[in-house]
Amino acid sequence: MARAKFTREIRDVAKGWRWGRRTMTPRSALDSTPPPKIWSYPTDWARTAAGRAVRDVILDAALKPIIWNETTPEVFGLDNLEGVKGPVMFISNHSSHLDASIILTTLPHSWREKTATAAAKDYFFDVWWRSAFTALVYAGFPVERGAGEKATSKAKELIGEGWNIIVFPEGTRSTDGWLQRFRHGTSRLALDMRMPVVPIAIVGAYAAMPKGRSWPRKGRPPIRVRYGRPIVPREGETHQQLSLRMQQGVGELFDEDRTSWWEAARRAAKDETPSLAGPVGPGWLRTWEGSRPIRRRGKPPTWR
Amino acid sequence: MARPGFVLEVDERTPPLLVHQGEGFRLQKFPLGSRVIYPPDSLPRLRGLRNHIRHALDHPHGSEPLKELLTPGMRLTIAIDDISIPLPPMQTPDIRQLVLEEVIELAAREGVEDIKLYMANSLHRRMTADEIKHAVGERVFRSFYPKDLKNHDAEDPDNLAYVGKTDRGEEVEINKRAMESDLLIYVNINLVAMDGGHKSVPVGLASYRSVKHHHNVETMLHSKSYMDPRPGRSAIHDSCKRMGDLLKSNGLKVFTIETTVNNNTFPDPFGFMNKREWEWSLLEQGTYLAAKKANDMGPSAMKHQIWTRIKAPYGVTGINAGETETVHEQTLAKLHQQQLVEVNGQSDVMVVGIPYLTPYNVNSILNPILVHCMGLGYLFNMYRNKPVVRPGGAMIMFHPVPNEFHQVHHPSYVDFFEEVLSQTTDPSTIESKYEERYATDPWYIHLYRKSYAYHGVHPFYMWYWGAHALDYLGDVIIVGGDPKTCERLGYRSASSFRDALEMAGETVGRSPSISYFHVPPLAIADVR
Repeated sequence: MARAKFTREIRDVAKGWRWGRRTMTPRSALDSTPPPKIWSYPTDWARTAAGRAVRDVILDAALKPIIWNETTPEVFGLDNLEGVKGPVMFISNHSSHLDASIILTTLPHSWREKTATAAAKDYFFDVWWRSAFTALVYAGFPVERGAGEKATSKAKELIGEGWNIIVFPEGTRSTDGWLQRFRHGTSRLALDMRMPVVPIAIVGAYAAMPKGRSWPRKGRPPIRVRYGRPIVPREGETHQQLSLRMQQGVGELFDEDRTSWWEAARRAAKDETPSLAGPVGPGWLRTWEGSRPIRRRGKPPTWR
Repeated sequence: MARPGFVLEVDERTPPLLVHQGEGFRLQKFPLGSRVIYPPDSLPRLRGLRNHIRHALDHPHGSEPLKELLTPGMRLTIAIDDISIPLPPMQTPDIRQLVLEEVIELAAREGVEDIKLYMANSLHRRMTADEIKHAVGERVFRSFYPKDLKNHDAEDPDNLAYVGKTDRGEEVEINKRAMESDLLIYVNINLVAMDGGHKSVPVGLASYRSVKHHHNVETMLHSKSYMDPRPGRSAIHDSCKRMGDLLKSNGLKVFTIETTVNNNTFPDPFGFMNKREWEWSLLEQGTYLAAKKANDMGPSAMKHQIWTRIKAPYGVTGINAGETETVHEQTLAKLHQQQLVEVNGQSDVMVVGIPYLTPYNVNSILNPILVHCMGLGYLFNMYRNKPVVRPGGAMIMFHPVPNEFHQVHHPSYVDFFEEVLSQTTDPSTIESKYEERYATDPWYIHLYRKSYAYHGVHPFYMWYWGAHALDYLGDVIIVGGDPKTCERLGYRSASSFRDALEMAGETVGRSPSISYFHVPPLAIADVR
């Protein structure tokens, strides 16, 4: 009896325990609660030779088998990377926690070993264990959202050292599966560093594991990853223009997935690539359409 | 800058919240949408206190500097707030000690020889020598106790002076020595808005003959609330002001020194009680668990000892001296800065946890009548404008309400509980039928004067403090309260908070709005 009571006490106390610095402040107290102290978790160790070796093992022996077992990924367009000289910036739509894992597990080994992932400091680097996980598995480095120039300083340092970086220009996962506005920090960085930008479209990740889920849906949902041709910043191009081209690059890949490479290319030439902003209408409609399961390719399975 | 108080709305992110329940505490989950009224964070303490005290004495409000009021050959009396404030008692040095040392130093330098000090305990129990020493410090204690440093005796006819009647017919009778002095200095700690101002001298140094004019049911019913001493809001303060004015017009010169403290109520390891639950660190959560476990398992005598020994690490936030009313305005402004919380509208249910301590059980036992006084008296009245709970609403309190009394401190309480409350809980009936007999009972008077007992009439006043709430509320439920004791008090007891809400549903409906008044540390709800 006494033990049960004490266990209940521990459980009650644990409800206030948020694994360290990730606070779960009641909403009405957000304005009056000081923000958690920002601290910088070191990540350089994860990009050393030893860190890369451990990452290879984790990605190849654990993460990839899990993703390939729980979902049905297909990869297209890796040939676009042939002949490209790094470092490059990989950009993709972002609607699921699967995105970074899928990119890293589909990239050729020669590219992956020198690729780091930009991750939001306030989410992925708030607690030591999450920081260590992000740094080790994704070669993650912290980006402070909304911090302007300061936010990209680490990225510039890594690019200077020859690292490719994965960036999700939307800044956060989409809540309805549709593409959000690209933040200009990404295009500014690409312009500053004069680096090629490789667009990637990840189709089906939202349907497989949307925001709020920690494991893919049952039924091995299909996910298709399409790598596009590198977009090279032009002379005199503004960051707004480059950002628009980046967005179009991802849009073309979605169009290609929906129809065919040829049709998508023709529409792109006429500047008629369909928008990825989603349908206009109530919130539920956007979510409804965004979460529509994508078409499976090939013969349907005999046994379900 | 300290964060202001605020009203939390419980959502799914809100952890269970700390609730006091006598010599214990618990984490309690509240229904979604409940409001929780949190006091402001602790204001920063004043550094270099002695300099601040000297500055206050040299630059008083509405008065000449104290130095100019002190002359050789004068009769100087110093009255000091008694053990009922602050709560818990302050860690040494108590601010009263620091103020007294500066005042007496000044008096010595100015050649004052005739100095008497009185603990202004009114009808409260006498303070023991150790308790006085804790409040005034060893140096003052050694210099003046027991000959010139005493407890005020409200039943000593030789040492009381009848001053006269106010225009409302209120008789004023106070300590004779104070009345006949050339200067009366009052040293106060203003823990809540009810204290201080004209409530210091006309109450602290008065006799039953005088106190009964404002400590009665009629006055309490018209004090809405007595934590809001603005003219016209609190009948008790209006009465005290009339008495203060009468004393002044009869030649009593009072130099008031008022101090305020911050909300730093609990020392380590109980520091987590000063903080909002979602801001507890891992260490504080561990401390909570360890303290809770130790408290639950420990023998009640040991538990009582530990709680009794808690001394608050209060920081002083303000020292003002001079003319009583001007000083008190400054004091209230600082107090409100520390305690006032804006609350939007009333609720159907008000929830409070009754802590282990009230003004009348320091080094003593929190008996059932004091539970009533703390809950329906003080905590219910910690508001300005309107009560936190709507008229006819329910009040849910957390306390075990054991049938326990301190036989030395509260002898008349025992009889009040057994004889009076067994007949009626109606304050007016109690007042008319029983008060006079208890107030004039020679045995109680003897115990008050010679032992350490509260005055025979004191339990009546405790009951009257709750008169407004009793008149206003539709239901009072005590979670975890002893059923028999609660029944005697006229309350209902519930075994759990969920049961209490279920029971309150009979009065306030099935989906009541709930406000949890999260004290201590103390707050005043400014209900709009």
